[in-house]
Amino acid sequence: MNAATLYGLCSAALVGLGLFGAIVHPQPLRKILAFNLLGGGVFLQFGVIARRGAAAGMGGDPVPQAMVITGIVVAFSATALAVTLLLRLYQVSGSATLSIETQSSSESDGGGR
Amino acid sequence: MNAAGTLLGAALALPLAMLLACLSSRLRTKMPALLAIAPVPALAAALLGSGGTLALPQMLLLLRFTLDVPGALLLGVAALLWIAAGIYASAWLQDRPDGGRFVVWWLLTLSGSIGVFIAADLVSFYLVFSMVSLAAYGLIVDDGTPRARRNGLIYVALALLGEAFLLMAFVLLAQGIAGDSLLIRDAVATLPTSPWRASILILLILGFGAKIGLVPFHVWMPLAYRAAPIPAAAVLSGAAVKAGVIGLIRFLPLNVATPGWGEALVVAGLFSAFYGVAIGITQRNPKTVLAYSSVSQMGVIGTVLGMGLAVGDGDAALSVGFYAAHHTLAKGALFLAVGVAQITGARRLWPVVLLPATIVSLGLAGFPLTGGALAKLVVKVPVGDGIVGTFMSLSSAGTTLLMLHFLCRLAVSSAASATSTVPARLALPWLAMALACVVVPWAIYLTVMDGSIADVVARATLWGAFWPCLLGGALAIGLRRVGGRLPRVPDGDIAGVVVAGATRFARAMGVLLERLDEVLRQWPVAGVALVGVAVVLTALMLTGR
Amino acid sequence: MLAIAVPAAGVVLAMALGGRQAERIALAAASAGLCIALAIAANIWQSRTPIAYHLGGWAPPLGIALRADGLSAIMAVTTAVVICAIGLFARQGFSVPEGAQEARAPMVFWTLLMGVWAGLNAVWFGADLFTLYVALELLTFGAVPLVSLDGRAETLAAALRYLLFALLGSAMYLLGVALFYGAYGTLDIALLSGLVRAEPVVWVAVALMTAGLIAKTALFPLHLWLPPAHAGAPAAASALLSALVVKGSFVLIVRIWFDTIPSLLNQAAAQMLAALGAAAIVFGSVLALRQERLKLLIAYSTIAQIGYLFFLFPLASAPLRVASGTTELWTGVAWTGGVLQLVSHAVAKAAMFMAAGLIAEALGHDRIAGLGGIARVLPMTVFAFGLGGMSLMGLPPSGGFVAKAMLLMAAVAEGQWWWSVVILAGGLLAAGYVFRVLTPALAATDAPLTLRTPVSSGRQGVVLALAICALLLGLVPLRPSLLLEVGRHIPTTVIAR
Repeated sequence: MNAATLYGLCSAALVGLGLFGAIVHPQPLRKILAFNLLGGGVFLQFGVIARRGAAAGMGGDPVPQAMVITGIVVAFSATALAVTLLLRLYQVSGSATLSIETQSSSESDGGGR
Repeated sequence: MNAAGTLLGAALALPLAMLLACLSSRLRTKMPALLAIAPVPALAAALLGSGGTLALPQMLLLLRFTLDVPGALLLGVAALLWIAAGIYASAWLQDRPDGGRFVVWWLLTLSGSIGVFIAADLVSFYLVFSMVSLAAYGLIVDDGTPRARRNGLIYVALALLGEAFLLMAFVLLAQGIAGDSLLIRDAVATLPTSPWRASILILLILGFGAKIGLVPFHVWMPLAYRAAPIPAAAVLSGAAVKAGVIGLIRFLPLNVATPGWGEALVVAGLFSAFYGVAIGITQRNPKTVLAYSSVSQMGVIGTVLGMGLAVGDGDAALSVGFYAAHHTLAKGALFLAVGVAQITGARRLWPVVLLPATIVSLGLAGFPLTGGALAKLVVKVPVGDGIVGTFMSLSSAGTTLLMLHFLCRLAVSSAASATSTVPARLALPWLAMALACVVVPWAIYLTVMDGSIADVVARATLWGAFWPCLLGGALAIGLRRVGGRLPRVPDGDIAGVVVAGATRFARAMGVLLERLDEVLRQWPVAGVALVGVAVVLTALMLTGR
Repeated sequence: MLAIAVPAAGVVLAMALGGRQAERIALAAASAGLCIALAIAANIWQSRTPIAYHLGGWAPPLGIALRADGLSAIMAVTTAVVICAIGLFARQGFSVPEGAQEARAPMVFWTLLMGVWAGLNAVWFGADLFTLYVALELLTFGAVPLVSLDGRAETLAAALRYLLFALLGSAMYLLGVALFYGAYGTLDIALLSGLVRAEPVVWVAVALMTAGLIAKTALFPLHLWLPPAHAGAPAAASALLSALVVKGSFVLIVRIWFDTIPSLLNQAAAQMLAALGAAAIVFGSVLALRQERLKLLIAYSTIAQIGYLFFLFPLASAPLRVASGTTELWTGVAWTGGVLQLVSHAVAKAAMFMAAGLIAEALGHDRIAGLGGIARVLPMTVFAFGLGGMSLMGLPPSGGFVAKAMLLMAAVAEGQWWWSVVILAGGLLAAGYVFRVLTPALAATDAPLTLRTPVSSGRQGVVLALAICALLLGLVPLRPSLLLEVGRHIPTTVIAR
């Protein structure tokens, strides 16, 4: 087992954990964290690919790294946005759950504006 | 494009232009007075424009219009009815502040109603057919009562269902055409050899059957005509329904014998013809009685077309056109009569309403020498003298019975004050239509149909037309004896049951899907679904090749 | 390419100048953007070849390419038209109050409008999978705050749900991107289409990306975020979200299927996508019928209409039948029909959401049961709603009619007639929910309605103009279809079965 395979397996494990967390955890904050875990797994995957490019004779494929950096920026802003929304939600409603699963569709007027 | 083609264009353009003018609220308030003018170019086109063709510029879907003889017949009488009803509607709208809305629906329906008789390709036919079917909704719900709205919804549901059948039929038809012509003529020519022949025929009969009210699609007729105001009911029952008739004439491959299908249509038609009478005599509202008479008459038309289809008799198209033309005039006139009778005092009812109405009604039953007798004479050719011919005579007897029942109901619907008189602007359109019911069929019979007077006055013809009326009269006397003991059938007979059942089913489905929605919109479920979709897609792609 | 740069520059300028200027900048950018989109379309129409542009002169695989083909041109024009209409419509709702230097909601709205537009144009023109990922994220980040513009708890929750689910989708997409790069060393769509072979890594990547994008498109059963998000947002934002934003991820699926792996199209998977689409049509329509609020009804109708789009996959990818040789023609018809549905739904739905917004504004609520007699006071708005509804129902001569007729023709000709049943039933159900609104709206009322706020006829006019566009789309289907063929990969390989 070489390093690339090991990293690959780790990335798969991270993706799996992240996916599991995002699906199962009811609290939004945990979902956000799980998403970051998932994102970390994907970025690691890019790292593996860069590494494999290196195995093909190059000193290391730079393109995936560029992508990872872009991806991290995107993931960071996504996290920031999500956390901001969550904070606002907490300020406005006093709770930070997404448990209004079904009542949001049946709440009466006022939402029409 | 030729001069006749220009006339066709004008026939469509004038109502549409008036419709555009309605966008301005100032012009809209003036429009009710001008309703009768809108169909005039159509009448001119019917008289002078036979054989004309019109193709719109290429960028607009290449809509094409043409006028053949059955189309011209129906276009002419429909235009005549639209003019008469337009005069009536102008007078009727005079005191209404919000007449503009009615006018918009009226002009839309009118444009569609003119269009169906001249549309030559699949796209334009579907376009104008939808126009006449759906705009009629606005006329039906005009008075805005909950009952009218409910009846309007039932109408529009059936109309849309019919259109869905037709769209599928047209799509299947278009597949058979080589090249990109979408002419109805070319499409129908390929029908007998099409691999989807059976499906197309079923869809066509269902689609147009919904329009002309073949049982069990008839339920909308009594409901819609009863809800619609008098002038609207007149044009809907007279002119708009003929969109279905012209559709059957245009789309059924009448030139090629199609046994089996023809007979099926005959049976469906005959059933409607007698069913309409049987339910009609239990009704008390004169408009409802007329609606059931329409069900019955459309059944007769279905029967004649079925006979033509069974043996491949292309001439049946013209015969049916003539029969439908007479029905257009008579049914339109009688609806106007109902309106006139409601505001006529009992004392003046006989000369103004009942006498002409009796002549028109008996015409519908085919009484000798009336326009209806000519119509029945003409359709005798495709129907023949066999068992179907006998049934047709019996249905004439049924019509006599139903129309006498109608006259009785009409006689008791006069205005409260015995001496009130009708304004001339309401009475004249009715009387003119009543006159047209006799004169116009004779004129058409002698010119277009090349008929001879000798045929009409032949003893066998006279007797053949007379005995069903005699039988019907005898039945009517019997009906008056037992009239009180007949069961009271609600108007739209099975509609109540069907609608209730459909509503229950729809509600159950809705609740079921709503629960499903609640389940699916929970996070864990949606997340698992997301992963599931990915897994299934992968599996399908891995194994699917 | 200017098309992306102009709205992006708009964002920056609006940020910098702030407040009162934002609206003016947005409207100026909107008109400029419309001209650019039209110029691109005209150029492609004349030259019949796609335009390609290499950023900074670097050619793929290292450089980033933008590419405009027929589909992108049409989508860009649609976007520009709808955004212009939304901009004009929103001038009243999102103007800075007199005296104030700057207000939060207008500022955010106008900047995000430009941001979403830049994201959309990037999605239409992006030519490599990673650029498309960034574009998609830009789109999501623009769209999410629009949902919660009014800052109420339930819209914040809706926005959060939307964001989290969309992020889940993008993560899956990005994983697919990684797999593609790992396998072939490039992400340029044109280069990839020449390299891909039928091997498991491609299938896994495509399945991951498709599933992720479906989540963002809100195809049944992954629609959990759409109804609250679209119904809770302000009318102008709902119009943007429903008409355009969900189309962005859909077009990406099309890019992957028809441009990246045109030689490997898989009928079984395509049939599954269409089956989900069919389920969406039935499910979305029935639920729309059962909603009590107008905006929720329209939101569920969006779910149903999205379903039609997915018929594109089996119908436009049907394997050539060698014997008849006519299938290529029919896949072209399906392609045109699918894209026409995309465009006509965008225009019609934007008009309907804005009409619903005007009604809600005038009445102070949007309960369907309380709409009685609204047609008397807002005739143009109700008329516009009806016209949009005609397009959804598929009545002639609307764009929706031609789109559905084309899909029907293709379905029948390719022997996949079962989809035609769903298409027709969907039309009937759509008629059901449109009439459910129109019947009370047109009804006569005894008491005259009093409006909470008067509605300017200018805004009504914008909505009506957009609805008339949806209607007229049906009259000009032949020429754009030629435009659409530009740069389209026709699946010419005969798939051995």
